[in-house]
Amino acid sequence: MIDQKSLIKLNEYLWEIPQSTRPDMRVPAHIYALEEMLADLFNDRSLDQLMNVATLPGIQKAAIVMPDVHEGYGFPIGGVCATRYPDGVISPGGIGYDINCGVRLLLSDITFNDIESHLPELTSELYRYIPSGIGRGGSIKLNIKEIEKVLTRGAHWAVQNGYGDADDLEFIESNGVLPSADSNVVSTEAKQRGHDQLGTIGAGNHFVEVDRVDEIFDEEIARSFGLYREQTVILIHTGSRGMGHQVATDYLRLFQRIMPKYDLHPPDRELACAPFNSREGQQYFSAMAAAANYAWCNREVITWEVRQAWKNIFGKTPTPRLLYDVAHNMAKLETHVLNGKSHKLIVHRKGATRAFGPGSSEIPDSYQKTGQPVLIPGSMGTASYVLSGTTKSMELTFGSTCHGAGRQMSRTAAKKIVDAPKLQRELLEQGIHVQARSYRGIAEEAPIAYKNIDLVVKTVSRAGIARKVARLRPLSVIKG
Amino acid sequence: MDAIEYIPHTADIRLKVTGSSPKDLFETALTGMSNLMRNHYCDKKRELPLDIKIKLDAPDFTTLLIDFLSEVLTLSNLHQAIYCRVYFEQLSDHILDARLFGAHVRKFDEDIKAVTYHEANITHSPTGEFETMIVFDI
Repeated sequence: MIDQKSLIKLNEYLWEIPQSTRPDMRVPAHIYALEEMLADLFNDRSLDQLMNVATLPGIQKAAIVMPDVHEGYGFPIGGVCATRYPDGVISPGGIGYDINCGVRLLLSDITFNDIESHLPELTSELYRYIPSGIGRGGSIKLNIKEIEKVLTRGAHWAVQNGYGDADDLEFIESNGVLPSADSNVVSTEAKQRGHDQLGTIGAGNHFVEVDRVDEIFDEEIARSFGLYREQTVILIHTGSRGMGHQVATDYLRLFQRIMPKYDLHPPDRELACAPFNSREGQQYFSAMAAAANYAWCNREVITWEVRQAWKNIFGKTPTPRLLYDVAHNMAKLETHVLNGKSHKLIVHRKGATRAFGPGSSEIPDSYQKTGQPVLIPGSMGTASYVLSGTTKSMELTFGSTCHGAGRQMSRTAAKKIVDAPKLQRELLEQGIHVQARSYRGIAEEAPIAYKNIDLVVKTVSRAGIARKVARLRPLSVIKG
Repeated sequence: MDAIEYIPHTADIRLKVTGSSPKDLFETALTGMSNLMRNHYCDKKRELPLDIKIKLDAPDFTTLLIDFLSEVLTLSNLHQAIYCRVYFEQLSDHILDARLFGAHVRKFDEDIKAVTYHEANITHSPTGEFETMIVFDI
């Protein structure tokens, strides 16, 4: 394993593993972390995995990790890898099994004072409306033909079928649909696994959370986003469920078989890849887009469920509006400047959030002056953040920033040391209502299992790859 | 040595699986995964009314093992079932032809997203045992 002495300090928040460290590295590796976070990065194999990413054919500039990095399987979580278009590789491992796992934030017009007495009731109602838990299906059951429409239309399917609001579409990354999706390259098994999972959050670190805005860092951008102190907001974190898992599994299996044909021999089988412009590369890109569309549709349906629950508690009070929906497991074709020239690139983000700055044609008109909202969920007992994208993120990290607090403790270790019923009581004493399918889920996702999100956000803010706008504190948490 | 050892991993689950033969390795890995999905489900003797045939081919033996477990995971999710036993009609370096036996379950205890190829590498030890690491994405 690499040690701390091998890192070169480029500045207070950026470290480099030189390309010369390993003969197979094609670019250096860049690590965004304040010095006080650095020692923890050597507790697992994150940086060795990052060096493996640096070997991928066509990789540009550097293999990058964010301060919430932790060990994954193949790619480290928190990684960004941009490859040359059209002949660089695309790697399903660089996106992960939960394709288009992402976050959206809904803003209400109700303050914490107004909602406080209704919280237990609202929590129960959200729990009743939003199916959660392992493999749990929802009330929407679709046949294969209808699933195929979801895969090509994304969030638009939800709106067209009465499970969404047309006004939301503008505020979803890529407007909630990737046109490159092709349901014909998605397996029947993947479609079958998706038949009853729209509108469900699943298990693990996924959740629906009611928060209050407890601090504003940038008044001007917060005003532009419609955020203010003590406002009640709702954060939704989930992805493409079993459907996306199956797409990734299918293509990783295929890529194991075709790599020799393209003379590709990555140092880890989970970095399986294919040239983007190969038949298999194109098929995966279209299947991934289909799974991404499913995920956007899923989050739109969950938003509809949240609004139904909201209406039941608050009657005619306007339902929460969508601030933005961002993906953090995805590969996209984007144009970035390298050595003064614009280049089309295949940007893989695995546990990293797109953070496009002001003036980007990819973001809604209303965020042209501020940069896109960037949503960083924390653990159930700490804080989450709203950031904004910056011009510097475009220059340094292919328009990317962190995606969360980042795990630091294994689920097994968390289960051993966390007394879940006690934690649930302690959180309630702090005013945080947690409703989950199992105590096990609460233990695994305990705040102690995560890094200090304040330090993660401080790092990206100091680095200038996102700007701090507001901090959110949890009030109630629905988990699987 | 235990046939299944849990090795720490920051976010996911890492198992070290050992078998006295290739068939034993595959069956032990199946038990390890199924017992994760439903706590110790396969440790008890029970009726296994589901009987499914599977046939796979792979470029190498390690890939065959991971593809076998992935196939079982897919079937488990599609049928809301746990598969505990496998009878091999054929198991070679590249081909698996087998019957799986399992039962429907009301729920799963662990959400395994995928069986990864990461760190998987079947080795044959001097003492004659077959072993590999398997990392599950959860």
